Amino acid sequence: MAEVSLKHVYKVYPNGTKAVSDFNMHIRDKEFIVFVGPSGCGKSTTLRMIAGLEDVSAGELKIGDLTVNDVEPKDRDIAMVFQNYALYPHMTVYENIAFGLRLKKLPKDEIHKRVVSAAEILGITEYLGKKPKEMSGGQRQRVALGRALVREPKVMLLDEPLSNLDAKLRTQMRAEISKLHQKLQTTFIYVTHDQVEAMTMGTRIVVMKNGFVQQIDTPKNLYNYPANKFVAGFIGTPQMNFFGGTLLKTGDEVTIDFGAAGAKITVPYAMLYKAQPKFLNGKTPVCIGIRAEDITLAPDGAAEGKTLIKVAVSHKEELGNETLVYGNINVGGDVYGENGSIIFKYSGGRDIQAGDVVKVSFNLDRLHLFDEETERSVLPRIPEYNYLECTVKEGKLTALGGEFDLPGAVKCPDGDYDLLVPTDAITFGKGVKAQTESCEDINGARLAALNIGGKRVYAVNDGCAEGAAVSVGFDFKKITLMSDGETVVSPMPDKNAIDCKFVKRKIVENEEVNGKTVRRKTVRFGFEIEGEFFGVSDAVSQKIFAALGIKNSLSSSLRLECGADGLTVCENGVAATAEETLDYGAEKFLKCRVGEREVFVATDKEYSGAVRVLPDFGKVGLVETTRDIKII
Amino acid sequence: MEKKKYKSKKAGETIALVLIYAVLIVISLVWLIPFFMLVILSFRGEAVGVSADYLFPKQWSFGNYVKLFTETKFPVWYGNTMLVSSVVTVLQTVIVLMTSYALSRLRFKMRKPLMNVMLILGMFPGFLSMTAVYFVLKEINLTQNLFGLILVFTASSAMQYYICKGFFDTIPKSLDEAARIDGASRHTIFVKIILPLAKPIIIYTILTAFIAPWGEYMFTSFIMLGDPDKFTVAVGMKSWLDNPTLAGDYFTVFCAAAVVVSIPITALFIWLQRYYVEGITGGSVKG
Repeated sequence: MAEVSLKHVYKVYPNGTKAVSDFNMHIRDKEFIVFVGPSGCGKSTTLRMIAGLEDVSAGELKIGDLTVNDVEPKDRDIAMVFQNYALYPHMTVYENIAFGLRLKKLPKDEIHKRVVSAAEILGITEYLGKKPKEMSGGQRQRVALGRALVREPKVMLLDEPLSNLDAKLRTQMRAEISKLHQKLQTTFIYVTHDQVEAMTMGTRIVVMKNGFVQQIDTPKNLYNYPANKFVAGFIGTPQMNFFGGTLLKTGDEVTIDFGAAGAKITVPYAMLYKAQPKFLNGKTPVCIGIRAEDITLAPDGAAEGKTLIKVAVSHKEELGNETLVYGNINVGGDVYGENGSIIFKYSGGRDIQAGDVVKVSFNLDRLHLFDEETERSVLPRIPEYNYLECTVKEGKLTALGGEFDLPGAVKCPDGDYDLLVPTDAITFGKGVKAQTESCEDINGARLAALNIGGKRVYAVNDGCAEGAAVSVGFDFKKITLMSDGETVVSPMPDKNAIDCKFVKRKIVENEEVNGKTVRRKTVRFGFEIEGEFFGVSDAVSQKIFAALGIKNSLSSSLRLECGADGLTVCENGVAATAEETLDYGAEKFLKCRVGEREVFVATDKEYSGAVRVLPDFGKVGLVETTRDIKII
Repeated sequence: MEKKKYKSKKAGETIALVLIYAVLIVISLVWLIPFFMLVILSFRGEAVGVSADYLFPKQWSFGNYVKLFTETKFPVWYGNTMLVSSVVTVLQTVIVLMTSYALSRLRFKMRKPLMNVMLILGMFPGFLSMTAVYFVLKEINLTQNLFGLILVFTASSAMQYYICKGFFDTIPKSLDEAARIDGASRHTIFVKIILPLAKPIIIYTILTAFIAPWGEYMFTSFIMLGDPDKFTVAVGMKSWLDNPTLAGDYFTVFCAAAVVVSIPITALFIWLQRYYVEGITGGSVKG
C-alpha cells in the first residue's frame, strides 16, 4: 500500500525520440489508475518505468516515500502482470507462484500458506500441480495474478492483462480484477488500450497520446468534460460526432453555424460564459462535438425551431435494445460523405429507413466545443481568463462597476482597454460587491461563478461558498491590458529563468591540524551562473545525477526556474543590474537583469545599479535546455 | 457438355511418393555403404593387405579388435581423445551458453559489431592460423601437450554462439522481466529460467562441442608431431596408413578402430536425444 508520484518524468531514447514527456501525477493510496491511449502513446513505457524495467530518463519517481529512479525492480515492492502472462513453462503453477517467495528465502510453511491462500482467492487451487501449458488463457492469467499478489506488493502493475483473452472471458476477468482490487486494498496501475476497460475499472484514468498526458480525471469527468478533441473522440462508443463550424454572439444568444453543412442552431449565451471572446466572433473555426446518445429524434411534425437539425439517413444498425442511425446533416449533399456525418441513437417507435430526412435535437447541456487549431476545449472547466472591459483615467481603473487604484507598477495612458484577469487573480476581500452563484470542486481547485452587476466572472478561490455575497478585487501583477489587440500592460512573469551549468569544483583548503598545516582537497558540485560558482546541497546534486546520469549532468546546459519569492537580494549572489522597482501596492518587486535575462525579485527595499541576487537552490526548478526536459 | 477428365488424385500421390522414396533410397545407400563396409571389414580374419575386392570375410574373427587393444597404442590415443573431448565439451558448452545469453539479453556498446566480427572470424577455417598458434604454444611450452590442445579447442568456442543465441532470442523477454520483478538476479534467471527452457539447444551444443575435437586431425597432428603417446585417435590411425609397409598389416585393424571410435558419439547421441522434447516453451506466453 503506497502512493506513487511521478514528477516531470521523461523517457528519451538514445536516438532522441521522446516516448514519454513531462509525466506528472500523484497516485493516491488504494487508487485504481488506468493508463489508456492508442498504441505507441507511452502508456506501457510509463508503467515499465514504474516497474523498473526501463530507466527513467529524467524526472523523479517515488513509490511511498522512496525515490526509486535507481532502485532494482525487486526492491521497489511492486508486482507486475504481463500481457502474455510470462509464466515459467517448466514449473508447475505452485512453483510459478512460489518462485519469488523462494528467492526471498521465506520459510517453507509461510510460502505454502501464501500460495494456497492466493490460489483460493483466484480459484485455481485444483490446478496447483499442473504446468501452464495444460491450462486455458483465463486460468494462466489467474496464475500470473496469483504470482503477483503473493508478493503482497505495495503497488500492482498490470500491463494489458486481458488483451489476449476472448471477449467473454475478458468481461469476466475485468470484474474479477475489480473485485481483487477491493479485496486487496492496494494501489493498482493498469494499462490498456481498451477504453471500455478503462471506464469500467479505473477510479481515475490517464489518457495519453504521443507521450503526452492529455487528461487525468475520473471516468465520469472524462466523459462529461473532455479537455480536448482527442479525449472526446477516444472515450465513448460510438465515437463522438464532430462538425466544423463557427460561433457568433448576438446579444444574449449565440448562433452555432455548422459551416458547409448549412445547419444552424441558436443557444443562450449563458451556456458559453467560459468561452474566450475570440471564439464568438463568427470567424474562428471551432469543432462542435456531440455524442450519439445526446441526440434525440424529434417528432415527425415538429415545427422548425432554433435547435432542430435535419439529418439525411444513410443506414442504420439494429442493436436490439436501440438503433444506431448513420446519416449526414448536409441533407442536400452526399449522405455518405465524411463532412457532416452523424451517428445518433434512438430506441423504439418510428421506423427510419435509409434515404429519410429526419429532424433531431441536440441536448445542449452536452454540447462540446473545441478549438479547431489547438483541439483544446473552448469551454474548459476552469477558464484561464475573465475577459472584461475597463477604463483607465488618472491612475484609476474602472471595471465591473467599481473603481480601483492602479498600483505604481501598472503604467498606461488613459483610455478604454480590454482587461484580461486570470481566474486566480480575482482576490476576495475588498473591492466591488459580488454574488456567488455557484461553487464547483474541480480536480482539487474550487471555482466560484460570481455575478458582478449582471456580468459573469469566474474566480479560483478556496474560500468561496454558494450564495455568499463577497467583495472582489484584482491581483494587479497578473492582469493584462489590451487595446486593439496590442498588449499595453503585460503581467509579471510567474517564473524567472536563469541560464546555468552544473559543474564540479575542486576546492583546496589549508587547515591547521595539531599545529601543522594540512592541505585538504574537497570536491563540490554546484551551478555556474555568469561565471561564478554556487555550491548546492547533496540532495540537489543527487537529483541531477539521477535525472541526467553522472557523465551527462556535467556537460548539459541548464535553466534555473523560480518564482519571484525564490530569489533574494544578497551579497553572495549572482551579479545583476537593477532596472526598476515595481510597486504592486501590497507587494514590491525588483526588476533586474542577469546576463541576457530579465528577472523579478520580491523585495521591500529599493535598489539601483549593480546588485547581487541569490536563488534558493533548494526550491528552484531545473530544465535541461537541449532536450527541453524538466529535471526538478 | 464435354466431360472433363481428371487424373486420380490418389494415383498422383502414389507416383510422387514412389519417386521420393527412390531418391531417398539412393542417397541413403551412398551414405551407408562405406560405414557398412567398415563394420564388415573389421571382422575379417584373413590377412590380405589393403584390399576391398570382396566384402564378406572368408574367416569371421574378433582378432582385429584384440590386436587393436593389445598390440597398438590405440588405447592411449583413445584415452587422450576422450580426455580432450570431454574437457572441451564441458568448457565450450558453458562458454557458448553464457556468451549467447549475454548477446541475446544484454544491450551494450559495440554489441552488434562484436557479433559480426565473431561471425566472420568463425567462417575462416581454423587451420589458417595453425602456424601462428603453433608458435604461440611453443613459446609457452604447450606443444606436445594435451592441455595445449584443450586450450586451442576451447579458446574459439564463443564463436559458436550464433545458433544458440537464435534460440535464446525465441524465449520471450517478458519471462526475464517477470523473474527480475520476482527478485531473480541475471545469474538466477540464466540458471533457473533460461537453461531449463533451452534443453534442446544445450544438447546440440554438447554434441557439436564433443564431435569437433573427437575427429579433428589437422591441428592435432601439427601440435603433437613426433610424440605418438600424445596422439589422438585421428592422428594415430592416420599414422598407420601413412607408412606403406604398415598399411597392409593395419588395414583391418583400422576398420576395427573406426568402429570403436564411432561408439561414444553414437552413445552420446542416443543418451541425449530423449531431451529433444518439442514444445518445451508451450504454455509460457501467448504468442
